[in-house]
Amino acid sequence: LIVKRSLLAAVLLLAPAASGRDDDPRASRLADIGPAPEIGLTDTDGTVVRLEALRGKAVLVSFIYTTCGGVCPATTHRMFRVQEALKEAKLWGDRVKFVSITVDPTRDTPEVLRRYADVYDADTPHWSFVTGLPEQVQKAMDGWGMWARPNADGVLDHPSRIFLVDPMGRIREIYSLEFLNAKDVVADMRACL
Amino acid sequence: VKRLDRPERFLYVFCVDADARDNDFVAVVDVDPKSDHYKQIIHTVDLGSKGNETHHWGFTDDRTHIWAGGLLSSRIWILDVATDPARPKVVKVLDDIPAATGLSGPHTYYALPGRMLLSFLGSADGGLPAGLAEFTNDGRFIRRIDQPEAAPYGYDVAINPGRNRMVTSSFAPMRNYGKPFADMNMDDFGSEMVVWDFKERKPLQVAKAGKAPLEVRWSLDPEKNLGWTNCALDSSLWRFEVKPDGSYAFSKAAETGPLPADLRQSPDDRFLYVSCFGADFIQQWDVSDPNKPILHGTAVIGTQPNMMHVTGDGRRMYVTNSLLSTLDRDGTFWVRLIRIDEQGNMHIDKEFDVDLNHFPTGPARGHDMLLN
Repeated sequence: LIVKRSLLAAVLLLAPAASGRDDDPRASRLADIGPAPEIGLTDTDGTVVRLEALRGKAVLVSFIYTTCGGVCPATTHRMFRVQEALKEAKLWGDRVKFVSITVDPTRDTPEVLRRYADVYDADTPHWSFVTGLPEQVQKAMDGWGMWARPNADGVLDHPSRIFLVDPMGRIREIYSLEFLNAKDVVADMRACL
Repeated sequence: VKRLDRPERFLYVFCVDADARDNDFVAVVDVDPKSDHYKQIIHTVDLGSKGNETHHWGFTDDRTHIWAGGLLSSRIWILDVATDPARPKVVKVLDDIPAATGLSGPHTYYALPGRMLLSFLGSADGGLPAGLAEFTNDGRFIRRIDQPEAAPYGYDVAINPGRNRMVTSSFAPMRNYGKPFADMNMDDFGSEMVVWDFKERKPLQVAKAGKAPLEVRWSLDPEKNLGWTNCALDSSLWRFEVKPDGSYAFSKAAETGPLPADLRQSPDDRFLYVSCFGADFIQQWDVSDPNKPILHGTAVIGTQPNMMHVTGDGRRMYVTNSLLSTLDRDGTFWVRLIRIDEQGNMHIDKEFDVDLNHFPTGPARGHDMLLN
C-alpha cells in the first residue's frame, strides 16, 4: 500500500510538469517549424557558440546590431524583460540560453558587443552576443533566412525575427517585436522544456 | 509586413486571363509620377499555367516575396519582388497544396514572423470544412489549423497581436464558387465568424453575421478592441466588439450598397472603404464613432468595383473591377485611382485609367493588388 501511495504521489507530482512538456512537437500548440540552422559565431569571451552544444536547452535567438535605431534596441530590451521573467519563474540558468547575433560584424566587435550587453543588463553567462568575420556572419544569416542591407541613408534594414529553438534543436516559434512579450515567451519556453 | 518606407513605384495586379485560354499573369504598373512610364504596364510575369482563377496574395513579413494563389487550381506561386521590383520573378510554384494540407482554394495570405498563415475556402475535394494552414516563407508546409465544427466555411483571417485574438470569416467552397453564378447554391454560403485564441490556435467563439462575411479588419487604434466585416450577400457592414466577459458581440452597423466585396481602412482609422460590386461605386464610411458609422462620401468609379488598395499615407486608393470569372457581369477591366484629400474627401483621378483589355492574350480580369 505504501509503495502504491508513493507511486500515486509520484504520478500526481509529475503530472503537472508533464502536461507542460512538449516531447512530441506534433502534439504541441507550438508548431514544429523545422531544424534550427547552425550559429557558429564567437561570443564576447572568444567561445564559438554552436547549437549542437546547446541541446537540452530552450534557446532564444535574435538578430540585432548595436548602432540600430530601429527595432534592435526594443528587441534587446524586450529580451531583457524575458530574462527577468524567466528568473522569476525559476527557469533562468542552465535550462535556457539567449543568443543575439549581430548583422553588422564590421562594427560590432566582441568589445562593442560586451558594452552593448552591459547597457541592457544582459546576464551574459546565459546570454551570448556573437559576431565573426563578415562571411561567417553572412553564412549564419543565410542559414536562418535572415538578411541585412543598407537603405539609401546607410541604415541597415533587416527583418524583425526572434527564434525559439527547443532542446532538440527544432524551431518552435518565431516572434517579431510585435509578438515578443515576456509572458508568452516564458510560457513557450516552459512548454519546450 | 514591413511598411513601405517611400511612396509606391510599382503596382502589381494579379490577373486572370479573361477567357481562360492563356496563362494567368502578374501585371506591373509604373505608379511613380516622376517616371516617363507613369500609368503604363511595364512588365508582365507569365505564371506558366491557365485557368487558375488567380485571386489574392500577400507579402512575406520582410516584404521580399509575394505569395499568390489560384482559387480553382489551388496552385501557389512565390515571387521574388526584392531583387528587381520592376520585374518580379517566380521562384517557386507549390502544386501539391490540397495533398499537403487537405484544403483547397487558398484565399488570404497573412504574414506571420518568418512564415505565412493561409486561409482556405474548402477541403481538398472542394467541399467543407475549410481551414487554415501555416508554411515557412520558402513554401514548406508546417501545420493545418481546423475550423470548429459549428463554422465549416472559411474566407478571411486577421490577427490582433496585442489582444491575442484572431478572427476568421465565411464564404463558400469550390463546389459552389466554381459554378456559374446562376447555378450557385445560395444556401451553400456561410455566415459564421470565429474568434480564436491566436497563440493556442484554438477557436473560442462562433458567432453569426450576415450572409457571406468577407474581409476581417481589426480597428487600427490599439485602444479599441473591435473590428469590422462586410457581408456580401446581406449588403451590410458588421461590427464586432469585445464584451466585459471577453467574448465579442457581432452586430449589423450599416446597410451598404449592393454586394460589398472589399473592405479597406484609412491609416488613421477614421474611414472604412466599401466597394459595392453590385453597383458602380465605392462608399466611404466615417467610423470615428464605431457605434454610429456615417456615410461620408461615395465615388462612382465604374461598373463592378472590387479590390481596393489604400496607400500607407492614406492619400491614394487603387481600384480593380473583377471579383471572380463566375461572378463578373462586365467584360471591360481596368485599374483606377481615387485620390483622398486632407479633409478625407475622395476624388477620382480621371487621368489614371489603366486598360487591362488589350494584352496580346486579350482582356484580363485584374483582382488583387500590391504596392512596391
